Amino acid sequence: MGQPAVVVHGVWKKFRRGERHDTLRDLLPSLAKKVLGRTRPHDLQGAEEFWALEDLSFEVPPGEAIGIIGPNGAGKSTTLKLLTRILKPTRGACHLHGRVGALIEVAAGFHPDLTGRENIFLQGAVMGMKRAEIARKLDEIIAFAGVADFVDTQVKRYSSGMNARLGFSIAAHLDPDVLVIDEVLSVGDMAFQQRCIERMHEFKRRGTAIVFVSHNLQAVGSLCDRALFLRGSVQQLGVPHEVIRHYVSSMSDLGAREKSLEVRIHSARLLDERNAHATNVAAGSELTLRVEYTPVRDFSHLTFGFLVYRSTDNLLVYDANLTGEELGISMVRAGQSVQIDFTFMAHLTRGHYHIVCHACHNPTQSFIGYLSPAAVFSVTEQRTWAGVANLDVRGRARSVCDAVNEQIAAAGASS
Amino acid sequence: MSTVEWGYRSAGQRLADDVREMLREQRDYRELLYQMTRRDLMLRYKQTVMGFGWAVFMPVINTILFSVVFMRVAPIDVGVPYPVFAYTGLLAWNFFASSLRFSVTSLTANTNLVTKVYFPKEIFPISAVIVSAVDFAVGAIVLVGMMAYYRIPVTSTVLLLPFVLVVEFMFATGIALILAMANLFYRDVKYLFEVVITIGMFATSVLYPVTRFGGATGALLQLNPMTPIIDAYRAVLLRGDLPSTSFLLSAAVSTVVLFVAWLLFHRAEFQFAENV
Repeated sequence: MGQPAVVVHGVWKKFRRGERHDTLRDLLPSLAKKVLGRTRPHDLQGAEEFWALEDLSFEVPPGEAIGIIGPNGAGKSTTLKLLTRILKPTRGACHLHGRVGALIEVAAGFHPDLTGRENIFLQGAVMGMKRAEIARKLDEIIAFAGVADFVDTQVKRYSSGMNARLGFSIAAHLDPDVLVIDEVLSVGDMAFQQRCIERMHEFKRRGTAIVFVSHNLQAVGSLCDRALFLRGSVQQLGVPHEVIRHYVSSMSDLGAREKSLEVRIHSARLLDERNAHATNVAAGSELTLRVEYTPVRDFSHLTFGFLVYRSTDNLLVYDANLTGEELGISMVRAGQSVQIDFTFMAHLTRGHYHIVCHACHNPTQSFIGYLSPAAVFSVTEQRTWAGVANLDVRGRARSVCDAVNEQIAAAGASS
Repeated sequence: MSTVEWGYRSAGQRLADDVREMLREQRDYRELLYQMTRRDLMLRYKQTVMGFGWAVFMPVINTILFSVVFMRVAPIDVGVPYPVFAYTGLLAWNFFASSLRFSVTSLTANTNLVTKVYFPKEIFPISAVIVSAVDFAVGAIVLVGMMAYYRIPVTSTVLLLPFVLVVEFMFATGIALILAMANLFYRDVKYLFEVVITIGMFATSVLYPVTRFGGATGALLQLNPMTPIIDAYRAVLLRGDLPSTSFLLSAAVSTVVLFVAWLLFHRAEFQFAENV
């Protein structure tokens, strides 16, 4: 593999909370205080500072992509800004070898009063491209962005989608050695997003090292060779599906929310065929979701149900609803807990899923009980690469001759 | 290869590293400087009916106004026809003043680029100075016409003109860098600047020789490095003289100001994104 293209070594970054002195009016009193010694030196700074990043280290060899995932405020954007040298680390060092392309603010250099063509040259220069290079790639950039008819129109007349597409297109023609990407895949329509993904795979094949930040865990899983789970410090660094799994399950621990309404949902447990707590389940196996409800007052006409989501992209996989009548509890009494076992088959492909439980009052169509996430589980299977429903496909091969003979035999048998 | 290293370096080593980095960045991003300057010039041309006509219009109007004042109301003798004296002064002063006026908000007006993309931010104030230099060149066409009209002979001292230009360019750039940076941290700077630049014109030999001020005021005004620069334009263009010795001092001051300002700017640059 040779020398890594990106080396981040023991990087720490400190930020200050609150507002800074923006006018002299604010500065002068604080200076006066300092000079007069009325405050201890740390009063102005110490308490307000916090570490946005602690001891971050990773490397990316050429042709490899690393995905950085984590909750909001985990330091993902800070990491990108450190990589693109907009911020300097408080401690530690970042080394980037070769030309660095950043798909962060792809249209940052655009001036609304200039035409698309003029902006291509301007933005290209902002990204470090030479005029001759831009001129050579001009047609390609315009075609990729799909703005050929508007290239001599002022950018202020562009739609936001056109703006973003043009910006991305310029960046995509940079030929960088290191590419830093921040959630830009959300721009443009499906077809354009598809072209972007293809372009990134192409970059990888050409030996570009990619650092990719995204909340779209499916995209991270498909593009990246490794993933880094960041929450201020490195939580885990490794194979994408393992890191994503760790991230998803840790988020569930943090975020269990019960909207305490009129039906309390205390506990929900996911059990396998042997009544053991299920976390890793085989595709197609039978699962039981055991949920306990306590109504605050008497109710009839309730519906109990749950939703199954794929955690990596919040895809709703199934919405189950069973009425009280179906379950044999047409009436529930205040303070008397009810336990319901929902049994279902995990006809799912490999991935990470979570379950949200709810109770609904039919006459008013209102949700009166809610628990999210009620359970988290992963499905293991080795057959599929993508998709969500396990169709349990089997196959059989034979010669066409045999197939015809079989049909003739079947026809003979029926006559 | 680009690296961010943090370790102990001696002050001298650090200075040498910084200077090398400053120069390398300007070389690597010279295309961007060109594009930024082009952008600002194009915008000027696009958004106004008169375009570069404004570069001529303002000094011409001012010349007419002050010619009335200093030829009719309170006549002064400046050794050359007053209108050409005033126009030369106004042209050179406008180059300086508009360089600074564009620079002071150049970083804060481009927040998006300052906080989101890495490149040497010196490009903003420097391109503002270059744009003003283009205005200066356009305005100079009128000066040539005036010199022909007043039959002012062109002598060999005109060969020193580039030297005078370079000194003013360096001084303007130095101050521009400081103002752009200061306004990023404290927005008062922009308002303060307007006051100072207005007073500055009357404290410099733009419309009259400041040597006419006597006493303490006169002595204080001797320290203004812009006066020898503007006088040098008049010396080499109108009088066929060499620039005064105080111009050499201004040249030295300009060099130091530019160097120190650029170094300060470069060292503060990494804080821009966090403070804008």
